[in-house]
Amino acid sequence: MKLFSGTSNKPLAEKIAQAMNLSVSPIEFFVFPDGEKRIQIQENVVEEHCVVVQSTSTPVTENYMELFFIIDGLKRSGASQVSVVMPYVGYQRQDHVFRDGEAVSLDVVIRMLESLDVERIIVLDLHSIKIPELFTIPVTQVSALPLFARVVQKQIGAGRENLSVPQFTRSDLKNNQGVQEANEKNFVSSTSSHETNAILVSPDMGGLRRISKMSELLGGMPWIATVKDRDLETGSIAITKIEGEHKDMDLKGKHIFMVDDMISSGKTMAVSAALLKSKGVKHITAFATHPIFSQVAPRLLQESDIDAVYVTDSVFVPKAKQFAKLHILSTAEMVAKALEDNG
Amino acid sequence: MSQDDFVLLTGRANPPLAEAIAKHLHVPVTNPISIFSDGEIRVRIQPNLRRRMIFIIQPTSMPVNDHLMELVFMVDAAKRASASEVTVVVPYFGYSRQDRKEMAHVPISSSVITSLLTEAGADRIVTIDIHSEQQEGFIKQPWDNLYGSYSLIPEIKKRKLSKLVVASPDRGGILKATAYAKFLGAKEIAVVYKKRDIMLNNVSNTLLMIGDVAGKDVLLVDDMIDTAGTIVNASNYLKREGARSIRVASTHGLFSGEALQRINDSAIEEVIITDTIAQPEEVLKNPKFTIASVAPLLAEAIKRIRSGESISKDLIL
Repeated sequence: MKLFSGTSNKPLAEKIAQAMNLSVSPIEFFVFPDGEKRIQIQENVVEEHCVVVQSTSTPVTENYMELFFIIDGLKRSGASQVSVVMPYVGYQRQDHVFRDGEAVSLDVVIRMLESLDVERIIVLDLHSIKIPELFTIPVTQVSALPLFARVVQKQIGAGRENLSVPQFTRSDLKNNQGVQEANEKNFVSSTSSHETNAILVSPDMGGLRRISKMSELLGGMPWIATVKDRDLETGSIAITKIEGEHKDMDLKGKHIFMVDDMISSGKTMAVSAALLKSKGVKHITAFATHPIFSQVAPRLLQESDIDAVYVTDSVFVPKAKQFAKLHILSTAEMVAKALEDNG
Repeated sequence: MSQDDFVLLTGRANPPLAEAIAKHLHVPVTNPISIFSDGEIRVRIQPNLRRRMIFIIQPTSMPVNDHLMELVFMVDAAKRASASEVTVVVPYFGYSRQDRKEMAHVPISSSVITSLLTEAGADRIVTIDIHSEQQEGFIKQPWDNLYGSYSLIPEIKKRKLSKLVVASPDRGGILKATAYAKFLGAKEIAVVYKKRDIMLNNVSNTLLMIGDVAGKDVLLVDDMIDTAGTIVNASNYLKREGARSIRVASTHGLFSGEALQRINDSAIEEVIITDTIAQPEEVLKNPKFTIASVAPLLAEAIKRIRSGESISKDLIL
């Protein structure tokens, strides 16, 4: 197996390679004065199984085109198989026609990957559980929730004895063609979190599946959701209501663990945190798999009521967008395992 | 022609050209593109496309990757809105110079682009002066390649150049120069070419030429002007060889990097280009540049694709 990387997330590619005792094979990237890209594979790949790591985060079109060219270059150079690791999948929020006359942009890029004869794709926490259905090639979806669950346990378990840290097995990480159900199976309900002050929060109602899965990972930790209203005209977000089985719970002095799949502007989390703070919560830790931070996000989060923000390295966060409250967890080992399992 | 059985769309690449084509066809043109805050492209086509022929006018000029993806998503949206046939009108076709493996371990990027268009559902491609016509073979769908000469030749004729020599700035353009000489009634052609000298690790390119340009009005023809290095070097060389005047005719004006400065500082008297690529004020207001519009050519081609007439008759100059 040979591992290649596009330019969007080289540090992650290096870590995945390290976890697999490989090194990242070189590609030469060139941009012509008119903006056209040119790539050249620098190694013999005849009869090799090649893996390309590329997050299609901003600048999304540049990253997709680069990926298409790398795959085409590998195939034309004799690679026997090309698999793609796309930790963050650009255009995943355009997965169906929301209003008449729209494109399903995600479907277009998937069709393109398939027409380039990609063998398999490994992704991290997709926005919707329907997305794998758009593929006709095998999709392995890796979840960052176990990483987050370990952080939660560490935080609530401080000072407690006999805390068992959840372990996830290889089979948990595998998910051919679809919906991830296995992840939580091997977790032992060890934390009887009902006795703790901890509550899980989904910052909007779209994340209920995610938050209930997280709850299962943590032995049935109670959860609530804040309700988001987005003004379609101004784009402004208002969060005023709390929903869920435990919506009437007294939040005073509680430790909140907020979970979402991505942070772009950071507004949803910041506004949700402000509401919770007004209800008297003591501490807020936020988790999101994909840090697709907009320009304003780092400052907004740093100045919010959130005490710590945990994200993964699915999207490269440049120094300029890092902030004191930010913690980045690596997904490299999980991805490496998924790659090894699938040969 | 009924006016509501076809719909014109444009992306952000060249709205003025799309407007000009629409004017010739007496129909409106719609731009369905907007951009999300994270830079993702959003397409939403408002007009009813059901059972209509759709023509999307979008050169894949700089920024080439964005313009390309806009086009691809427009095709997808049109197909999903039940368009009967989607024609992509790509006057300038980006990546068309990466049309072969000129070295080991490289992609054929132009073939990736055509796959993107057909995977999204394009039923037909219309281009002008594609870099190599073999690219039409990348796909099974019809590909109508037109020529900028249809628009450029009448403009050049207005100059009434008496001692005209048509010149090619490289070996690859001899056929094009010969064709232009025929249309313009020029008796002579000239070819400037590079001779590669390799001496003691020093590689230098010497220019040589075939033909006689002393005292002549030279018209250099090329399919595109990118950084303008080739055309400016050839022009300065022809000037030294005694050319009386030097003009350049080219279909696609990319003008990347230092191109405009180079042309301004060169022996070139005038550059005649088309509007396949939208030009900045810097070009539009520069007296050295003349623009001959391809809008009449593309409007006529769209009309004929609609009605099922021959494209090659009288449109291919």
